[in-house]
Amino acid sequence: MADKQLSEEGNNVPLSDNSLLVDISDALSEKDKVKFTVHTRTTMKVFQKSEFLVVRQHEEFIWLHDRYEEQQKYAGYIIPPPPPRPNFDASREKLQRLGDGEGTMTKEEFTKMKQELEAEYLATFKKTVAMHEVFLTRLASHSVFRDDSHLHVFLEYDQDLCARPKGKLQQLGGLVKSIGTTTDQYYLNATVRDVNDFFEQQMNSLTEYFNQLKEATTRTDKMTEKHKELADSFIKISGGLLQLANIDPGPLDKHLAKVSDTFEKVRKLESRVACDQDLKLADTLRYYMRDSQAARALLVRRLKCLANYENANRTLEKARHKNKDIHAAETAQSAACEQFEAISAQAKEELLDFKTRRLHAFRKSLIELAELEIKHARTQQDQLRKSLTYLKELS
Amino acid sequence: MTKIKMSNQHENGGGNGNEFVERRRASLERYLNRTAQHPVLVVDPDFREFLESDVELPKATNTSALSGAGVMRLFNKVGETVNKITYKMDETDPWFEDKLIHIESLETQLRKLHTNVENMVIYRRELANLTNGVSRSAAMLSACEDHNSLSKALSHLADTEEKVEALHLEQANTDFFILCELLKDYLGLLSAVRDAFHERTKLFQHWHHAQQMLAKKRETKTKYELACRTDKLDQAATEVLEWEAKVERGQENFDKISKMIKMEMERFEKCRIKDFKAMFIKYLENHLEHQAQLVKYWENFLPAAESIA
Repeated sequence: MADKQLSEEGNNVPLSDNSLLVDISDALSEKDKVKFTVHTRTTMKVFQKSEFLVVRQHEEFIWLHDRYEEQQKYAGYIIPPPPPRPNFDASREKLQRLGDGEGTMTKEEFTKMKQELEAEYLATFKKTVAMHEVFLTRLASHSVFRDDSHLHVFLEYDQDLCARPKGKLQQLGGLVKSIGTTTDQYYLNATVRDVNDFFEQQMNSLTEYFNQLKEATTRTDKMTEKHKELADSFIKISGGLLQLANIDPGPLDKHLAKVSDTFEKVRKLESRVACDQDLKLADTLRYYMRDSQAARALLVRRLKCLANYENANRTLEKARHKNKDIHAAETAQSAACEQFEAISAQAKEELLDFKTRRLHAFRKSLIELAELEIKHARTQQDQLRKSLTYLKELS
Repeated sequence: MTKIKMSNQHENGGGNGNEFVERRRASLERYLNRTAQHPVLVVDPDFREFLESDVELPKATNTSALSGAGVMRLFNKVGETVNKITYKMDETDPWFEDKLIHIESLETQLRKLHTNVENMVIYRRELANLTNGVSRSAAMLSACEDHNSLSKALSHLADTEEKVEALHLEQANTDFFILCELLKDYLGLLSAVRDAFHERTKLFQHWHHAQQMLAKKRETKTKYELACRTDKLDQAATEVLEWEAKVERGQENFDKISKMIKMEMERFEKCRIKDFKAMFIKYLENHLEHQAQLVKYWENFLPAAESIA
């Protein structure tokens, strides 16, 4: 379910043709890495075959993302945000803790808790795969990104892309780079006077928007996690009631067993509620948090262009003043101007596109969230009603 | 004397003063009703006076932990506990043995269940709190969303989550006041049951002691008879008679309490079954109501999500 929802949202420019279709057909979790099998079907002539498989790791996805980001010709586009690093630490830690607490619960309770954790791990794993897939499908369905040679290499070349393993040093390099871009933004904001109010306002609102999305994502995560914890706490109550029924045979044991069974069924429903809130609400917020960051990166690139343009203007003035190299300066200035105008125009379109995309995605997931909430609450009502009828008939 | 009451309401689920008062009120009310429903306790003059007399009743000074009577009570309790552990009576009636085992295992299970239900209540309260965070975030997001219909839907989402937060609190109250408190009451009642059983053991002990004494006195009497000590014989004979009466009374008391306990247990079991049956139904009905509310809240939200365009 996660795959479908995310990949539909991820479609940047919906293309009717199927000339390049990418999916992740398989994924394998090893000790400290995940291997994704990337499956491509295509009619594009640049590829040797029409269908092929390659195995890629997370770092190679990052490598591909960085190639897009560093090329000037994509500077005016919102580059699809890279998928987050696979992280199963939380699940592993919980399993570890469960093992420590094994003595405090009955065998059935332990088995159920373990099943829950395994399901949770599987869900996280599927989500990771889905997010990597979305990244690729957004690239493959984009009219410009799909023609990039790095993407072709990524999809077709059946060897490692030398992008890994990412050592400590390189990770540190990434950190320095990201600090670089944020300070870039502040520096540029402070020094470059924007000629266009629209962009200045967009930059401010996107920054605010990103911060709020980030906060909302964290809070929603905390809420769904607690909801899951609540659902899991029903296991012990259901188990306790059943044990009571066993040691207290007589006029109450059927009641106790029924309520125990009700708790077990309600547990599964509450678990689903938590899971669906995570998929529909938290994940949508999370994806658009990253997408708004990508949009902000585009605005930073535009500001850099503006700075270049202003520098070229100054150089031209100096050249005129000194009456030296005027022609070269003129060419440079007009090129910078052109580049700036092009990126501004492109950025405007991209921001509009970002808005439409966001609107569609939020509409879809909020509707689905409401529908699922209603569905689960109704199912729970039915369940409770059935239990009540049974209990009333008993007494 | 200054007395300090340690207030530990903050530990019990982090509620405020009002909540503590409400809990206490509900629990005292249940206590009085339970007493009122008992055929013997209800006619007790103290109970009647408690309900009727509009002058202040003497304070129970010995309930406070720091008072002199409290300390004395503590000593007595320790003594009794030692007695409970060390004294093993020869049970003549297997009914009591079986019942006691049953009561004890019931108590163990209920205690475990009570702890787990308490945890559920805590989780539910925490969930309400975190839902409030999501509601606030949705409101903030709505404020900085420049698209009108999406902003409206988000503000609607904030409202919905706020209602859900209140609902989680109500669910926690259902869990607490209906399920958790009944379990707690029954833990108290079971320990009262064990106290009653112990009273029987004590009476048995007295009876047994009287029997031993009687045997000794008879021995003495026989000794005097054989030695022809007529001067002491009279007193020995009186003592024998005295202890014979004591044995008789001891047995009577023991038989009485045994019978009484059997009757009480029958009543107790009836009440327990009735209480639990009623509680389960009320508990599930309340949760049914909560789910109906939840459906309403999200049905109200749905049009707002659909009108995002």
